[in-house]
Amino acid sequence: MKFLALLLLLPLLALAEPATVIRATDLKKEPATDSATVASLAENTAIEVLERKGGWTRVKAPGGEGWVRMLALRLGGTTAAKPGASGVTEMFNVARTGTSGTQVTTGVRGLDAEQIANAQPNPAELAKLEKFAADREAASGFASQGKLSPTSVDYPK
Amino acid sequence: MKTLLLFAALAFAATAHAQFRMPNFDINKMVDTVKNVGKAVKEIDEPEEIAIGKDVASRLLGAAPLVADARLQRYVNQVGRWLAVQTERPDLPWQFGVLDSPNVNAFAVPGGTIFITRGLLERMRNEAELAGVLGHEIVHVLRKHHLKAIQKGAQSSLAGDAMSMALKDRAGPARDKLIAFGTEMYSRGLDKGDELEADRLGIVIAARAGYDAYGLPSVLQTLQAMSAQDSAIALMFKTHPAPGERLAALEAMQPTLDAYASRPQLADRFRAQARR
Repeated sequence: MKFLALLLLLPLLALAEPATVIRATDLKKEPATDSATVASLAENTAIEVLERKGGWTRVKAPGGEGWVRMLALRLGGTTAAKPGASGVTEMFNVARTGTSGTQVTTGVRGLDAEQIANAQPNPAELAKLEKFAADREAASGFASQGKLSPTSVDYPK
Repeated sequence: MKTLLLFAALAFAATAHAQFRMPNFDINKMVDTVKNVGKAVKEIDEPEEIAIGKDVASRLLGAAPLVADARLQRYVNQVGRWLAVQTERPDLPWQFGVLDSPNVNAFAVPGGTIFITRGLLERMRNEAELAGVLGHEIVHVLRKHHLKAIQKGAQSSLAGDAMSMALKDRAGPARDKLIAFGTEMYSRGLDKGDELEADRLGIVIAARAGYDAYGLPSVLQTLQAMSAQDSAIALMFKTHPAPGERLAALEAMQPTLDAYASRPQLADRFRAQARR
């Protein structure tokens, strides 16, 4: 029985993503600036992300659960973005070219700098690409199905 | 005739250059004149923009083919075209393709061709995020960011009237050089200002199309959490400002973002169409 309860909890645990507060911010009860403040979070506080709604992220923080401004967070643990943290590059065969000294990652990935620079035309794939294009009517019907209502929004100055 | 004029102007500039220390000689004015003559000869019109784009797109497809999934390709085209309809260039021959590469990246090609990699698509959670990224790429096309960079670079690498030849003769060696240069640019990237502009305006386009405007910032947060050492994202990081810097720059967009935040994200449709 305990095991079953644990199993039910698993999907919830999987959802939680580690994140870090990048500047002091308020933990709010609801996703709104005028909502009650649950706690004040200092810069570099480690938290867990539960869900996102618009510009707000629901998190589990040391001071409790609540909502913080999405742009006040950096996803990943406090060390995630530091160089050398992952070491994935080392798994590939890294070669150094003679004169330029630039590092080239070999292995078939298809879209590394070198492969783009040396790519040859592929007219057969270009023909396929053209075949999949959508016209304005199709796009409009697709938008209606998704209940997407077009709105007039100006570009920023 | 135009060519002759250009040569004459260049010869004049060379003479002028040798004498630039002489007083009462306005070298800057002379150089400007030459630049303007160059521009007049080499202005790229829309049909030429589209033709260059097709050739560059063909090369990028040579680096990575399309994902062999017609449903996925049609889905991304519908999202992309709906976004493009909201812009000042709604009737370009817009086409969108998912490239079969685990690398995380997206490319905008002059004339209306947009590519996104399978690797980037797999890291997205919903259609609003896809719309945010496609909106960003659409801005590169609208503002001709790559076309201008190709033009600028080609002017220094293709001497004299080779640029006009490259535009006129689609099978000639000058054309090959131009397209090779245009393709290679995707491994070097644009100016930082172009990327930040594409972020700001891309958000507006996604909002116009009715999506949750936070799609793009949300993807940027995902990228931010990826390690700079991960080779799948190495080129993307090399050719773009860091995600953290892009997110910080978007704080100026907070009013727009918040005004259009509570709109559809379409996570279910995205999962049904884009997941295999």
